[in-house]
Amino acid sequence: MRSYLALLGAGFRRQTTYRLALAAGLLTNAFFGVVRTAVFYALYAERDQVAGLDVTDALTYVWVLEGMFAVVWAPWVWEMAEAVRSGEFLVELLRPGDPYLRLLAFDLGRTLSILVTRTLPTLVVAAMVLDLRLPSTPGGLAALAASMVLAAVVSFQFRFLFGSAAFWTPDHRSMFLLVFPVLWLASGFVIPVDYFPEGLRRLVEGSPLIPLLMAPVRVATGGPAGPALAGQVAWVLLLWLAGRLVLAAAGRRLVVHGG
Amino acid sequence: MAERAGIYLRLAAAAVRATARRPAYLAGRTLAAGLLVAVEVAGVVLLVDRFGTIGGWRPAEVVLLFGLAFAGQGLAQLFGDTLEADKVSTLVRRGTFDQVLTRPVSPLGWVVASYVDTRFLGRVLAGAGTVVWAADRAGVAWTPGRAGLAALAVVCAAAIIFAVLLAAAGFTFVTVQGSEAVNMLIYGGQYLASYPMQIYGSALRFLFVWVVPFGLAIYMPALAILGRQGPPGLPGWLAWLSVPAAAAFLAAGGLAWRAGIRHYVGTGS
Repeated sequence: MRSYLALLGAGFRRQTTYRLALAAGLLTNAFFGVVRTAVFYALYAERDQVAGLDVTDALTYVWVLEGMFAVVWAPWVWEMAEAVRSGEFLVELLRPGDPYLRLLAFDLGRTLSILVTRTLPTLVVAAMVLDLRLPSTPGGLAALAASMVLAAVVSFQFRFLFGSAAFWTPDHRSMFLLVFPVLWLASGFVIPVDYFPEGLRRLVEGSPLIPLLMAPVRVATGGPAGPALAGQVAWVLLLWLAGRLVLAAAGRRLVVHGG
Repeated sequence: MAERAGIYLRLAAAAVRATARRPAYLAGRTLAAGLLVAVEVAGVVLLVDRFGTIGGWRPAEVVLLFGLAFAGQGLAQLFGDTLEADKVSTLVRRGTFDQVLTRPVSPLGWVVASYVDTRFLGRVLAGAGTVVWAADRAGVAWTPGRAGLAALAVVCAAAIIFAVLLAAAGFTFVTVQGSEAVNMLIYGGQYLASYPMQIYGSALRFLFVWVVPFGLAIYMPALAILGRQGPPGLPGWLAWLSVPAAAAFLAAGGLAWRAGIRHYVGTGS
């Protein structure tokens, strides 16, 4: 347990080292947030509610999205695949302890660092300038924090599955780039899934993409926190199982591949 | 001069042939670049359709802006993707750029021609297809003048993004490590220009019409193509101003690139 915590801390420190990248990231999030805010203000200029969302919900969605962007689409998404290709990943399997947990601990350290240095300031500043719908009770804030951490865990689990693709194909990048547009839309990063047509929406609601963004958004805007968090936990468990199976299969594969 | 052009053409042809050797890979990448455009367009259609209009613009009209902006972005990346910060950073750190400087060709010409990335044709084609589809839905009657304006918008937007990439590359020669803030102008500029300019506050509008004239290059021609009146204070002839504006911006980008090379010291490895 202690070694996993050490990895978590190492991941956290690694991510906080890049100050310039952090500043550039915050600036980018702020810019996109301002543009998206203008879009929703213009859209809601003549309406109060659309698909159950009012302008305050929409703006909260915008800024939770900007805060979560670097957590869900972490820039190190290729790292594992590259380690697999170069054979370095073999070392992961030789180290003591459980490889999946170790990778999770280090990755979670990095995403927690982003949650603290990027998500939190983005949301705080946005909430000071704009009228957002964020929880004000300790319980509500705890639920939001838990939901964001769960989103970070699920995003790691996706990164792990993508990285594992490198065990089977030398062109894992093309695979990711082909799947990415679909995930980008279906996870709600283009528009909130609430605006989707009914059929598409029902399809997406049952997918592991909801925990990434829409669950934290719903917890933030005061939607039923229980079901949102339960859905996230359920997907963490299912993706955990999937990750395990893939790792077991990949372990046999790496021997052939890396040598 | 003609001989020089021949060299660059041969370099570019070699780059294209190299990717064409792996057709499945090229097809996958091209499709992915186009798919992202399709997804963004689907998103904006679903969004604006829910509300009816945005700033008085119907979904198809907004999609026209998206198409122009994406086609411009794709065209710029077709030639300038390798000028992106992390890629220039790799050129510098590996010492590849030291060798480039000793060659009897212009460093910019070499870098651009050697790394032409055909997969961005996927984005250009998807953007152009989007423009055609949106124009049809919006009831645009194409005339040679309007088609010319659309092409002009794409070329000018591409020139502006290329200039941003050039300036960023010049900056990277000095700092070695690139900054992702450039992406804000490249992807953020495209995103911003994909919506009608009047929805933005005056500061943002000023920035993207007069400083980084991306809005000028996309929005003004789109007004003319759609036969719409712009907001007061933006007369229709401003569309033509995007040509000198893009040219000036390109010149400024070129200067920044040169300044960067003048300060280039290599990394010693």
